[in-house]
Amino acid sequence: MTLSVDDDLSAAEFALGSLDSAERTTLAARRQREPELDEAISAWELRLAPLTEIVPPATPPRDYLADILRRISGEAANDNVADLKRRLRRWRASAIAAASIAAALAIGVGLRENLRPAAPHEFVAVLQKSADAPAFIVTVNIDTRSLTVRPVAAPAQPDKAYELWIIDAKLGAPRSLGVLDQKNPTAPNLSAYDPAVVQSATYAVTVEAPGGSPTGQPTSAPVFVGKLIPTGQ
Amino acid sequence: MDPIANNRAEAADLATLMARVAVRDRDAFAALYRQTQSKLFGVIVRIISRRDLAGELLQEAYVRIWERAADFDSAKGSPLAWMATIARNRALDEARRATPVALEDMPDSFDPAAEDVDPLASRERSERLAALMRCLQTLDAEKRQIVLLAYYRGSSREALAKRFNRPEPTIKTWLRRSLSDLRDCLSS
Repeated sequence: MTLSVDDDLSAAEFALGSLDSAERTTLAARRQREPELDEAISAWELRLAPLTEIVPPATPPRDYLADILRRISGEAANDNVADLKRRLRRWRASAIAAASIAAALAIGVGLRENLRPAAPHEFVAVLQKSADAPAFIVTVNIDTRSLTVRPVAAPAQPDKAYELWIIDAKLGAPRSLGVLDQKNPTAPNLSAYDPAVVQSATYAVTVEAPGGSPTGQPTSAPVFVGKLIPTGQ
Repeated sequence: MDPIANNRAEAADLATLMARVAVRDRDAFAALYRQTQSKLFGVIVRIISRRDLAGELLQEAYVRIWERAADFDSAKGSPLAWMATIARNRALDEARRATPVALEDMPDSFDPAAEDVDPLASRERSERLAALMRCLQTLDAEKRQIVLLAYYRGSSREALAKRFNRPEPTIKTWLRRSLSDLRDCLSS
C-alpha cells in the first residue's frame, strides 16, 4: 500500500465523521479517482461499523416504504430506456442506411432530383422529463395520420389526467390532442393537422383535472415533452 | 420487531434478503426495509436530530442500498453494518452541508458504553463489536468519548474542540492517535 500515513488517517477521520465540510468534500472527490484511498476509507468504515450495532433503534416519523419504492421505480424505466435507445439507434441506423442507398442509387443513375431520399412515413417521439425517464412513447404514421401514445413509465395520477398537446409555431397556442389513458395506448385524431406540422411539432403532456383542462389550454407546465424522429421505415 | 444486529439467524436472513435485493427483488427489499428501518433511523437521527430531515435521509439511504445491493459482501461484515454505514455517510454529508452543530445541540451526557445502547444488542454483541469495545477501553476516557461522539453524533473536530474546551489541533491529534491505536489494537 503506497497510501501516505496522513492520507490513511484522513481516511480514518472520514469514516469516523470528524472531518469538516471542506475536508470531507475533498476526500469524497479524491476517493472517486484514487482506488487506494477509497479502499482505505472502506477499511476504516468496516473497522468502525460494529459500533452501529449498539445504536438504539428509533421509530421513523412515518412509513416511507411506498415513497422509497416509488423512487426506485425509475430503475425499471431505465431498463426500458436502454431498450429504447437500442431501438432508436437501430431505427436511426436504418434511416441513414436507407438514405445512403437512395443517395448512391441517385448518383448512380444521375438523377439529381432523386438525391433526397424518400420522406419517411413513420415517426416516434419519446415524451420524457429527463433523458433517463421516458413516460410515453408517441408513434405517428404520416400517411394514415394515425398517432398512438403508449404509457411506458408515467407515474399514476389517480385524481388527475394526463393531457396531450401538439405545439407548433404555425398553430399558435397549444392544441389539445385529448386526455391519455394512463395504462393503455391512446390514439388521438390527427386528421385536422397538416402533415408538415405533425412532423415538426413538439408533443407535450400536462397534468390536468380529470377529463382534461377546463380552459382548453394547458393549466400547468408540461411534465413530459418530446419531438418526433423518423423511424426510417 | 427490530432485528438484533448480531443475532446470527437474523443476520443470515438479512443476508438472504440482500442477495435477493441485489437481483432486484422488490418484495425482499420491502422486507429488508421493514426489518431495518428503525435501526437505520436510529443511526441517522443521532447525527441529524431534525426528524423530518432524518426521515428524508432515511429514504435516500434505502435508495442507495437498493442501487448498491450487488456490492454487499457478506465476508466483510453484517448486512446491517453495511446498511448502517450507507445511512451514516448520507447523514454525515448532510450534517456537513448544514450549519455546524451548535453547542446546545450536543447531548449533555453521553456514555455509549452504558445507557445509550440497544439493550437487546448489548446482550449479544458480535465478536467484531466486542473486539472494538475492548480496544476502545484501552484509550483514556476523554479520548474514547471524543471518538464515540464523532462516530455517533458526527461531531466535527471544531464541535469537539468547543465541547471539550481544547484547541482544534489537539482534537485532531487525539483523534488520529486514537484511531491509529485502535487499528493496531484490532490487528494485534
